[in-house]
Amino acid sequence: MRHPLALGALLLGLAVVPQTGAAQSAPYEGKTITIVVGFKAGGGYDRTARILARHLPKYLAGKPNVIVQNMPGANSITAANHVYAVAKPDGLTIGTFNRNLVLAQLTNVPGVKYDMTKFAWIGSAASETTVLAIRSDLPFKSFDELRKSGKPLVIGATGPGANTYDFPLLLKEFLGVNFKIVSGYSSSADIMLAIERKEVDARAGSYTSLRPFIDRNLVHPVIRARAVEAGIEQLPVDENLAPNARAKAIMALRSAPEVIGRPYVMTPGTPDALLKLVREAFAAALKDPELVAEATKAKMELEYTSGEDTLKILTEVLSQPKDVVDEFSKYIKFGE
Amino acid sequence: MIDALFEGLLLVLQWKAFAFMLLGVGVGFWVGLLPGLGGVTTLALMLPFIYAMTPIEGFAFLLGMHSVVATTGDITSVLFGIPGEGTTAATILDGHAMAKKGEAGRALGAALASSLVGALVGAFALAVAIPIVRPLVLSFGSPELFMVAIVGIAFIASLSAEGGRGMLRGFLAGGLGLMVATVGQDPQAGIARFTFDSLYLWNGLDLVPVLIGIFAIPELIDLALRGTSIAGDVPKGQLNKGALEGVKDTFRHFGLTLRCSLIGTFIGIMPGLGGAVAQWLAYGHAAQSARTAEERAGFGKGDVRGVLGPGAANNSKEGGALIPTVAFGVPGSSSMAILLGGFFLLGLVPGPDMLTTHLAVTFSMVWTIVLANIITVVACFLFLNHLAKLTVVRGSLLIPVILVLVFVGSYTANNDYGDVLLMLFFGVVGYLMVAGGWPRAPFVLGLVLGKIVENNLYISVARYEAEWLTRPIVLVLAALAVAVMFYPLLQARRSAARGG
Amino acid sequence: MERLASRILGVAVMFASGAAVVIAMDWPLKAKLFPIAIGVPVFCMAAAEVLWGLLRPDARAAAMDFRLSDHLPSKIAVRRTLVAIGWMLGFLVGIVLVGFPMAVPLVVFLYAKVQGREPWGLSLGLALVVWGLFYAVFDRLLHLPFPAGWIQTWLGVA
Repeated sequence: MRHPLALGALLLGLAVVPQTGAAQSAPYEGKTITIVVGFKAGGGYDRTARILARHLPKYLAGKPNVIVQNMPGANSITAANHVYAVAKPDGLTIGTFNRNLVLAQLTNVPGVKYDMTKFAWIGSAASETTVLAIRSDLPFKSFDELRKSGKPLVIGATGPGANTYDFPLLLKEFLGVNFKIVSGYSSSADIMLAIERKEVDARAGSYTSLRPFIDRNLVHPVIRARAVEAGIEQLPVDENLAPNARAKAIMALRSAPEVIGRPYVMTPGTPDALLKLVREAFAAALKDPELVAEATKAKMELEYTSGEDTLKILTEVLSQPKDVVDEFSKYIKFGE
Repeated sequence: MIDALFEGLLLVLQWKAFAFMLLGVGVGFWVGLLPGLGGVTTLALMLPFIYAMTPIEGFAFLLGMHSVVATTGDITSVLFGIPGEGTTAATILDGHAMAKKGEAGRALGAALASSLVGALVGAFALAVAIPIVRPLVLSFGSPELFMVAIVGIAFIASLSAEGGRGMLRGFLAGGLGLMVATVGQDPQAGIARFTFDSLYLWNGLDLVPVLIGIFAIPELIDLALRGTSIAGDVPKGQLNKGALEGVKDTFRHFGLTLRCSLIGTFIGIMPGLGGAVAQWLAYGHAAQSARTAEERAGFGKGDVRGVLGPGAANNSKEGGALIPTVAFGVPGSSSMAILLGGFFLLGLVPGPDMLTTHLAVTFSMVWTIVLANIITVVACFLFLNHLAKLTVVRGSLLIPVILVLVFVGSYTANNDYGDVLLMLFFGVVGYLMVAGGWPRAPFVLGLVLGKIVENNLYISVARYEAEWLTRPIVLVLAALAVAVMFYPLLQARRSAARGG
Repeated sequence: MERLASRILGVAVMFASGAAVVIAMDWPLKAKLFPIAIGVPVFCMAAAEVLWGLLRPDARAAAMDFRLSDHLPSKIAVRRTLVAIGWMLGFLVGIVLVGFPMAVPLVVFLYAKVQGREPWGLSLGLALVVWGLFYAVFDRLLHLPFPAGWIQTWLGVA
C-alpha cells in the first residue's frame, strides 16, 4: 500500500515524463514488483519465491525492487483469484500458488474465479514429482515385488487433495496393490514419525520432501509419477503400469500439474513486452550460479519450464473429455 | 557425553556465534512483544539471512531469536491482555488480572523468572533425555496422542469453574471448542465442513484472531468500562510489589514451577500436540494445586501461580520440541518446522546422527537456548518496573493503541480482513462468556485440540481397529482422564465435609 | 447481567449445535461422525444449562476467569460498553473506507481527542508515533499488503 502523498508524486512524475513509446529502455526502473504467494511464510512455495525475489532484479533492466507478500487462504485459491482479477495488468504483480489449482478449476470447485489458461504465464521454477517411499526394513525392494506379494501395506496420508493421499489412492484403485490408506496425519513430517514407529509402512510425497529420509535410509522410493527428477529416473512410472487407457488418463491428469511444480504467472492482460522481459529474467535467474548455490544448500532443485510449455500442459488438462473428468472427480478432490 | 556437553558450550561462546545469538535475541524480543509479528513468520523471514553463516552461527541466531519470543510474548499478555503469541494466552488470565490490581511488576517478574526456570528445565531435560528420547517418542503413537488430548480437555473442563453447574459449563465450552475446530476441509472425505461456500473458512479458523478476539476484546471493553488506567483503583504512582517479588514467588512455589516445566517439556517432546496446549495444561495443574475451593476461585483473578505455570511451560516446551526435530527430523512445533529448514540450509541432517556423531552441535543448541533465555530475562528485568508503569497510563491514551494492536495483530495472521471480522466475532463470544460466567480455557483447548482428537481417533481405529483401546499407555491415560474428572468433585466433598 | 448473558449463550449454543448436527447429516459417514458425536452432547448440555438457569437461577458456577467490573451503576456500564463497541465498529468502518494505514492514526487521534478529551498536542503526538511505528514495521519492513480503502479507490489514488 503506497502512501498517498508518495503515490501522488509518482503519478505527477509519470504524467510529466514524456512517453517514448513501447521501446522504453528500462520499464522497471524505480518500480517494485510484488510476488504474491498463496501460502504462509516458511513453506516450499514461499521459500522458492524468496530465493527468486533476491536474484531476479539482476536480470531485469532497471533493477527493480522485488518483494514477497503472503496471501494464504483456501489453499491459494484466494491468491490466484486476486492475481487474476484484482491486481492490475501492469507487470508489477507476479503470482505463485498451489500447482493443483488447475485441477480445482477442472473439478469445478466453488469459489474458483480464475481460468488457468488466461493467466500471463511466466513458467515454472521447478517440477515436483511424487514418489511412494516404503520403510527400508520391509522385505519389498521394488514395486513389482510389492504388488506380487499381495501383502497389505499401511500408507499414512494427510488428506484428500494432497499427493500423500491421491497418489496411493490411484495406485490402489487401478494397479491392484493391497494398500490401506490411513488419513488424518497433521503433516507429512508426522507421517515420517509414524513410519519410524511402525504405525504405518509407507508414505507418498514430493521427492524433495522425502529426500532427507531417503538419504538417511529410513525409506526408499519404489514408484514415481511422470515428472522426472535427478536420482529417480529409473523408477517405474505409475502411468506406464496402468491396465487401460482410462486409468492412464486419470493418473496422467493427477500428475500433469507436477511438471509445473512452482507455477509463476502474471495478471491476464499484462503487455506482451513486459511478459517477455520477465520470462527471460526468470530463465536467466534460475541459471544464476548464486541462486543455484543457495537452492542446493536449501535442498531445492530449481529449473525453468517455459510459459509456452506450461500453457500446453494446462490446455491439455482442461480439455479432457467429460467422462474422464467425472471419473477423475470420483477419486481426486481438491484439497491441501 | 560430558565432553560433548562442554564442546557444545565452547562452540556457542565463540564471539561470532555469540554476537549472532545476541542479534537473534534482539529481534526475537520485539517479535514476541508485538502481536501481529508472529514468531513463526519472522523465523521464516530470517531464514534467507543465514545462508552465509556457519551452522553454529546460524543456529545461535535462529534459536536465540526463537527462545525469546515466548518470554516476551508474556509481557503483552500481562500488561494489556493481548496474546502476543498464540502460546501466551493462558498468562492473560491471571497475569493481566494482577496488572489490574496494580501488581503488574510482580506479574512480569513472575512470568519472566518462571520462563527462565522453564527454559533451563527444558534444556536440561533435553540433555538428560537424549538416551531415552527415541524409545519415548516412538512409544507414543496416534492412540496415545488421542488419549493425551482427551485427558487434557477433561482436565481443564472439569476444573475451570466451580460446582456441578460449573463443570457442566466447562464441558460445554470444551465441546463447543471441538465443534468449532471442525470447520474446514476434513481429512477423511475431503468435504468442506461448515464453510457455507466461503473460501475464507475453507482452511478452518486461524487460532490467532480467535485468541485475540476472545481474550483481548473483553479486557478492552472492561478497560473502557472502568474509565481508568489498567491498574485501576491503585493510587497513581504506587505500583505495589515490583518485579523482585515476582521472582521470589517463583521460588516460593518452586515445586509448582518445576512440575509445570516438566509438563511443558513433555508436551513439547510429543510432536503433533502443538505449541498452544502446554500452557493450558500447566495452568490447569497450577489451579489444581489450590487446596480449597475458595483458593481455586481466586484463579483467573490474580493468583500468581496462574502466571508461573504457563510461563514455565511455554519455555520448557521449546526445549522439548527440539528433541523430535533434532532426533527424527520431525518438527515438534511450527517454529521447529522453520528451524528444520534452517538445518538443511546449514548442511545438517537431523536424525539419529545428531544424538551421536553430532552431539556437540545438539548441545550447542541446548546452550544457546539456556544463554539466550538468561540474557533476555536479565535484560528485561532492567526495565520491567518501567514497563509496569504502562499500567497506570490513562485508559483514554492506552485504549486506542491497544485497539490498533488488536486489529493489526489479527490482520497480519493471514493478511486477510476476514480475520479481523473473525476476531470481532469471537470478541463478542468472549464477552458473553465472561459476562455469563462461562470459562474460556476449555473452549480454547477444545479448539486447539479438536483436529488432533478427531484425526488421531480415526487413525487409531483405521490402523489398529479395536485393539488400540487395550494398549498399555492408552489404558493408563484413560484412567487418568477419569481420575482428573472426579478429583475436583472429591476435593469439594472433602472440604464440605471438613465444614467449609 | 450474568444470567442474561448465560442464557443468550446457552440458547445460541443450542441453536448452533442443533444446526450443525442437521447440516452434518448429509455428509458421508467419515465426515459427519465426529461433528455429530460432539454436537449431540453439546446440544444436550446447552439445554441443561439453560434449564438450570431457569429453574435454579442462583446456582453458583463461578468461572476460573476474570469477571467484568460490576461496581458501576448499570446504566453507566451499559452506555460505556456500547460506546466502546461503537469505537471498535468505527475503526472497522474506517479501515474499509480509508484503508489500514490511514485508519490507524485516525482512530488513535479521534479516540484520544474526542473520547478521552486529551489535549491536541498529546492526541496528535500519540497518533503520529503509533502511525510511524506501524508504517515502519508493517509496511516498510514486512511489506504487508493493505488493500486500498473505498474512498481512495473512488478518488482513483489507490
